[in-house]
Amino acid sequence: MVSSQKTGGFLAAPAVTYMVIFFVAPSLLLFSYSFWTASSFRIVPDFVLTNYLSSIQSLLFLKVTLNALLIGLVTATVSVLLSLPIAYYLTYVTRSKLIFYLILITWFSSYLVRIYAWRTLLGTNGLLNAALLQLGIISTPIEAFLFSPFAVGVTLVHIYLPFAVLMVISAMSEIKKELIEASRDLGTSPIGAFMRVVAPNAAQGLIGAFMLTFILAASDYVTPQMVGGSSGQTTGLLIADQFRKTGNWPLGAAQAFIMFALSILIYLIITALARASGLTRSRKSTTILTQDK
Amino acid sequence: MSPIIEITDGNKAFGSFKALQDINLSIAQGEIVTLLGPSGCGKTTLMRIFAGFESLTSGSLKIDGKDVSNLPPEKRPVNMVFQRYALFPHLDVFENVAYGLKVKGIGKDEVRERVRNMLRIVQMDHLQQRFITELSGGQCQRVALARALVNGPKVLLLDEPLAALDLKIRQHMLTEMKRIHAETGATFIYVTHDQDEAMILSDRVVLIDRGQIVQVDTPQDMYNRPNCLFSAKFLGETNILHGTIVEDASGKSAFRSAEGSFHYQPTNQIASKSAAIMSVRPEAISLFAENPARDNAIPATVTDVLFTGSRSFYHLVSDGGEALRAQVQNTPGLNRPNVGDRVHVCWPHDGSVVLPASPSH
Repeated sequence: MVSSQKTGGFLAAPAVTYMVIFFVAPSLLLFSYSFWTASSFRIVPDFVLTNYLSSIQSLLFLKVTLNALLIGLVTATVSVLLSLPIAYYLTYVTRSKLIFYLILITWFSSYLVRIYAWRTLLGTNGLLNAALLQLGIISTPIEAFLFSPFAVGVTLVHIYLPFAVLMVISAMSEIKKELIEASRDLGTSPIGAFMRVVAPNAAQGLIGAFMLTFILAASDYVTPQMVGGSSGQTTGLLIADQFRKTGNWPLGAAQAFIMFALSILIYLIITALARASGLTRSRKSTTILTQDK
Repeated sequence: MSPIIEITDGNKAFGSFKALQDINLSIAQGEIVTLLGPSGCGKTTLMRIFAGFESLTSGSLKIDGKDVSNLPPEKRPVNMVFQRYALFPHLDVFENVAYGLKVKGIGKDEVRERVRNMLRIVQMDHLQQRFITELSGGQCQRVALARALVNGPKVLLLDEPLAALDLKIRQHMLTEMKRIHAETGATFIYVTHDQDEAMILSDRVVLIDRGQIVQVDTPQDMYNRPNCLFSAKFLGETNILHGTIVEDASGKSAFRSAEGSFHYQPTNQIASKSAAIMSVRPEAISLFAENPARDNAIPATVTDVLFTGSRSFYHLVSDGGEALRAQVQNTPGLNRPNVGDRVHVCWPHDGSVVLPASPSH
């Protein structure tokens, strides 16, 4: 046992070292910056809460942060909902890997190219408007397709859906088909079998998929800006500006950590909701609850 | 009494592969019937058709007198015990067993009462709050049985339920299975490739080979009166001789092979001069040091002896070159032949079964 623990530590060491040097240390550094002050493009060591307080009192910050959270939540919800039937189909119905590879192939093209593709599709001369014009549904091109929350949502779901699909597939592949058959045999409809057996057993994976797409989408500041115009302003953009343009690193750092805290808050809310709905539960509490049976 | 399950002219094809052909079978209320056959013979497919996970390509299936062809699994009055149990890992023992009752919207008190009662029958009432991951294979088996039986199914389907258990627990569970069957009175349909399980457990055995039912009989009848070469070889061990049917001087039918002529008790009519096979069970054979001057005795040489305590298994080669096996009770004080000894192999008239050489199957 001791030797296998040693081997485990040895195998994990490179990755752990990498993460400590290039993620944990910079993060801690950034965290300490968030209490410093900035004056004329210089940052001065200090310990003030001004950066946090002024952020949460800034109407602009609150507005873009709310926007980022909404974008993240909508993208995550839509992505997870869309990935459920795909993952179910790929796990239990077909042995063909075609759809799986079609999903992966989207990663073979550049992220920016795909954003520009959506701009072309949704623009006034784009495919969507052209099709609607041809069909006679509209008489003049709709400008609102592009540079709208709709465009942001569509593009982000397109970009992040594969992540959700992969995570949901891996969660479902842990659930044997016999479990679904057993629940059918015991009187559950197909949808009931999904709700009562697949969902609870895949819950951790579903929450993981939701959180991953949420974090990626909420922190994305390139896509929303490029296809959303003014509706695509998010916290990420604001933070980037503090570092690149105004040079106020401490304020940027504080805002980054506010987003970090909000992401954790969302995670806690999601897990609490999952537990309240009976989707997940901790084993300890179950044992206590059922002891009087 | 009308049969609880009745399948008429059942056929099942997967693409061009005929998984089941011309299946006709009716099973009575309260029976234990095993579907026995080698792997890939279609026995599991037949069970999945009963459960509703597969549907017949043609033919009809009635359960309790009602046509169930269009009923999904959840609407059929049957429950299944899966090969690897398929217990729900997110639920504890009590909740696993309660699952079917809860889904049907049965009141809390009744659920508790019925689950407790069923867990008592399978002797798992002391582990109600255990999670499935904390159970042994035998315990999982008991929970799986309880989870199915608690719903009061008209038919309990068991798909190789003991395959994942080791030998000792398997033998114990077979006895348990019989007890549980007696206590619940449900009809059991049991799929297995293990002839011992089938013989110990069943009222009737349905022997299946390459998608067709070969023979349906009690274990005793199937063992003693196989209707074809496949049955004779699948249940237990046997010696097969190839020859033809002849009539001897007195007009009696005899079986003639390269080894000589053998008399037998005809159980089925085989035309004279037609090719036939003779199946002789190893335990029907006696070995004699001297020529016993009886019917059905041929000289042979012992090539191997396997001593197993109460019995010994003899491998022999007849002078005609046929490999034979004999099983002899080790009675104390009896002189036993050794490897290389010359012996006479002998079996009684009723110790063999003669079958057509080119059986329909």
